[in-house]
Amino acid sequence: MSRPHQYIALMTSLPHLGKLFSRKEVPISQFRLKQRLAMLVPEHVALLREMVEVTAWAGVAKYNQDIEVIRRANQVIADLKDYPDLQNLVGARMETRTLIAALRRRARGQDTAGDIQSWGFGRWCSQIKANWSDPAFGLGHFMPWVSEAHRLMQQDDHIAMERLTLTEVFRQLDQFGTRHEFDFEAVGIYVLRWVIVERWSRYNDDDARKRLQSLISSALNGTDVAENIASTQVFSTDNSLNFEGVTS
Amino acid sequence: MNEFVVALGWFGLYAPVALGAIGSAWGCALGGSAAIGAMLDSEGGYGRFIGVSLMPSSQVIYGIVIMFSLQQPSVDAANGAALFGIGLLSGSTMLFTGIRQGEVLASAIHASKAKPEIFGISLAPAAVLEGFSVFALVFALVLAGTIPS
Repeated sequence: MSRPHQYIALMTSLPHLGKLFSRKEVPISQFRLKQRLAMLVPEHVALLREMVEVTAWAGVAKYNQDIEVIRRANQVIADLKDYPDLQNLVGARMETRTLIAALRRRARGQDTAGDIQSWGFGRWCSQIKANWSDPAFGLGHFMPWVSEAHRLMQQDDHIAMERLTLTEVFRQLDQFGTRHEFDFEAVGIYVLRWVIVERWSRYNDDDARKRLQSLISSALNGTDVAENIASTQVFSTDNSLNFEGVTS
Repeated sequence: MNEFVVALGWFGLYAPVALGAIGSAWGCALGGSAAIGAMLDSEGGYGRFIGVSLMPSSQVIYGIVIMFSLQQPSVDAANGAALFGIGLLSGSTMLFTGIRQGEVLASAIHASKAKPEIFGISLAPAAVLEGFSVFALVFALVLAGTIPS
């Protein structure tokens, strides 16, 4: 089967994921998804794996330093040279993580951004550093969700914060998804959306609350933080997506 | 020179069938791929997916009709250029509309899986493309009647 036909058959064989938070169960199991993705050529499977690895918290949890993950993200972006939209998507995810990491660092009482190049990624690093005291780091006019995230963080409303973050990530995926229907980019975007929907489907509010409390406690006590949570690091946005572990 | 015009005439005579067949094959393959994928994710309604994926078959039929209408007792310098022009352009139309029809059908099948109630209306773009093919067919037939034999 030639490439265009392969992608058409693959994309039409995948069920519609629907809107975020609209359903409790994921419409296709991990097993079935993997089965369908077997239609891809091996190089594309490898690229997809890299992309999911760098965008999912479970994939980056193995790194001890933020700078290692930043290096890995840059490597993945370079590997995606033939797919500019996927490059932009990975970059946008990393920038979102940077913003949330900055919010968390500030909420923890950090006075300045410090050496932001060692924990931040992307275009907004200098803006974040220059506007550290601004609730939205001076980005609120075109990223209103940052102000909202700041407010939720002040209120310690972690679940609402999680919903807001996921909504923003889903919006990014939707934005890139409108340009691709039957190609590798479309498959990549579908898989990234599936990861989010799958995680949300595993969510149990009570368990999530307990888990989050234990993570916060361990972070405040400084015990085993690296293993449990990267709450002050660039990858922190996904830690709360990962209460029940990540399947990707 | 005359031989060249005669060669062009034969080229034009067969172009609607050949280009129409390519368009139909390409379009049906695109639509068929979507139908096969959709069947993997559906519990029923397979017939309608396969049915619409065959819509681009009409282009080759129109091509055959155009070829017969262009057919002359003999292809010569007097009618070669006309056969070439009408045949090539109508064939190109069949090729293009066949491929594009396959693409919009794949999109229609994909979209109607998520929202089955739009299945009918999602076929409208494919029907419009079919209409353009019919325009090319009808006016090729009209012009074929004016070719000197």
